[in-house]
Amino acid sequence: MGRLALAWRILTNGEFAQSISEFVSSRSRLPVSAGGRESSAVPEGVSVSEPVAVRVPKAAAPKPVRSDALTLLATLQREGRLIDFLKEPIDGYSDAQIGAAVRDIHRDCGGVLERQFAIRPLRSEAEGTSIPFDGAPDPVQIKLLGKSPSGATFTGHLVHHGWQSTKCELPQWTGAAETSHILTPAEVELRS
Amino acid sequence: MTAQYVIGIDLGTTNSVVSYRLLSDESAPCGILSIPQFVAPQTIESRRSLPSFMYLMTEAESARGVYVLPWQLDSDAKVSPACCVTGVAARQLTAEHPERTIVAAKSWLCHTRVDRHQPILPWKAPEGVPQVSPVTASQRYLEHLAAAWNSQFSDAPLSEQNVILTVPASFDASARELTREAALLAGLPESLVLLEEPQAATYAWLDAVGDRWRKQVHVGDRLLVVDVGGGTTDLTLVEVTDEHGELSLRRVAVGNHLLIGGDNMDLSLAWYVAQRFSEKGVQLDPWQSVSLWHTCRQAKESLLSPDGPETHTISVPGRSSRLIGGMVSVEINRHEAASLLCDGFLPDCSLTDKPRRQRASGFQELGLPYESDTAVTRHLAAFLQQNGADRPVTHVVFNGGVFKSDVLRQKLLDQLQVWYPDTPPKVVEGSMDLDFAVARGACFYGWTKAHGGVRIRGGTARSYYVGIETAGLAIPGAPRPLRALCVVPQGMEEGTEVDVPSEPIGLVVGEPARFRFFSSAVRRDDLAGTRLDRWSADELVETDSMEATLPLEDADTEEYVPVTFRPRITELGVFELWCVHEESGRQWKLEFSVREDADGARN
Repeated sequence: MGRLALAWRILTNGEFAQSISEFVSSRSRLPVSAGGRESSAVPEGVSVSEPVAVRVPKAAAPKPVRSDALTLLATLQREGRLIDFLKEPIDGYSDAQIGAAVRDIHRDCGGVLERQFAIRPLRSEAEGTSIPFDGAPDPVQIKLLGKSPSGATFTGHLVHHGWQSTKCELPQWTGAAETSHILTPAEVELRS
Repeated sequence: MTAQYVIGIDLGTTNSVVSYRLLSDESAPCGILSIPQFVAPQTIESRRSLPSFMYLMTEAESARGVYVLPWQLDSDAKVSPACCVTGVAARQLTAEHPERTIVAAKSWLCHTRVDRHQPILPWKAPEGVPQVSPVTASQRYLEHLAAAWNSQFSDAPLSEQNVILTVPASFDASARELTREAALLAGLPESLVLLEEPQAATYAWLDAVGDRWRKQVHVGDRLLVVDVGGGTTDLTLVEVTDEHGELSLRRVAVGNHLLIGGDNMDLSLAWYVAQRFSEKGVQLDPWQSVSLWHTCRQAKESLLSPDGPETHTISVPGRSSRLIGGMVSVEINRHEAASLLCDGFLPDCSLTDKPRRQRASGFQELGLPYESDTAVTRHLAAFLQQNGADRPVTHVVFNGGVFKSDVLRQKLLDQLQVWYPDTPPKVVEGSMDLDFAVARGACFYGWTKAHGGVRIRGGTARSYYVGIETAGLAIPGAPRPLRALCVVPQGMEEGTEVDVPSEPIGLVVGEPARFRFFSSAVRRDDLAGTRLDRWSADELVETDSMEATLPLEDADTEEYVPVTFRPRITELGVFELWCVHEESGRQWKLEFSVREDADGARN
């Protein structure tokens, strides 16, 4: 589209103009990997060089047109059919039928989480091993279970290693406010 | 302004990657550029590669601004018209709207039977769908990459950096020229250097191991670079030589452009599974077909592994919102599927086997000359035979997405061990990050070019010939016999030119003079001036013809000007062919000409 044609459209088409202006204002949220840290997404033993520097456009972040949560939901549906799965009554199906479906959902939604959040265990120790403590741990990082420790130093067993996201790289949505609630469009097939 | 970065661009058949490195920082490794792109309507994500697919929008999509990238709104940036979208979203749309999607534009660039400047893609698009030329499609991918760079490095525009762009080793001079043309149109600098992809893969190895490479190989060793990407297979031999007491590397042979790749494997498996579904009365719709394709890509590994289960269940979810209710599954016999892949693509064969010319493959309808024999091993055997099969291959450099699979790597290594039992070839050490190796290698090459370091020598990969009609009695209805005059010998180095010794050829002044033009990857002993009276179809491949028009000047009293040829390979690796009039010293450059007989081109 030529520049003039674009200008003309903006002048004559209110809806398009709005989506463009919202888009322009949301430009600075271009999803460039934060700090470019992607090495964590790579299996151990594979060497990956870090980018030298990652530039992010400098403009201040404007008010988002759509909640990132909706964009994430839309992504999980688009790639992994998660909403279809959770909204479908499963009482009538056998475990085998559900299992067959879950395999794909597990793979595809897992792929989204890996790409956007690179989720890793919070504690590197194996579950079931003992962890020594010197003083009470940060309750945000460690949830103590069972009876309160009697002394300042004590030992606990790691029951769950916890999870952390090692990056947060959400897609940028470029649509207009009035369609921001749409998670996936209806699909219509034309039959000849 | 001087360049701050060296940038390696892998413009792939199915994926494009940009790698970069600061020129001033000795210790900085090659990074990979994040490329913002549409992954779905109105949704932009940054990925480390740009799928080389292009979707041509409908008018409704264009008017609604469904796919407008941030830089397409910049007033001063060079923009592509917002009628197409490139990247993940476009790849996704290939299944739903194949008639609006361009795939494998790069393979069209070296398809000499069509005019690569004509808007012919998508191939056989229905009326009403806009088409673009293979050159324009390549230009759009490069514009996207350039804009992604410029938006993140606004103080170091791409047009001012040291840029290395990779091309298949099998690209001939005209395909290289077209690539260069697309690159310059996309805003890449004139100083752009073209580098052969298998060499880039070898540079990636050199970058990964550093100086240790001198310990890993010895004089006389032969490295085989096997690059099986999504759509193409590219073969190269690199020899370790001794130059003034120093180990050095020389690229000694490249293979022909083979249109077979990992996508063919996944698609054949998907096709096989779709047959099983259709036996059960289940017809898959386009979305399900893509889903099946992805499933097959991932199932390939476990189907091929020697100790997998006997059967493998492949399921495809239903299309409506009822996911589980619409789920369909089939049981696949693992041996059947594995033999489909192995026998089809990596069959055991002997070193003396040749690719089979068999029935036209099912891919033919896509318009491209896909290989009729999909067996990579037989193409490899033929390549080795043409290039001294008695000298063993000692090392293998794997490249391309296909070889991320352990099973397929091992399968090819096993075959090489059968061929060379006394010296089983070793895989070179280094990074196995195969999706990014070519771009990284190109970046490292640019770095060594600027800072000094090991370089792979080799010169031109092919020899080139001008077709000359022999004089003699014309027989009505029969073409005059054609001779081929070698103008560029294999291995002609960059930054050199030669005067081709030959009888002068008379050119008509004021009229275009056109020469048929041929290349050969196998005739390695021909010298500039060697004349061939006959050749086999395997030896010489015809490419675009070359032409020049000698302007009429006042001083010209003669109708004919006797000329000889002077080829030149510039420092940037650009091939030029000049006609020289010895007496006056005047010279005219021959250009690749636009074909008039492009079949399938729409006017």
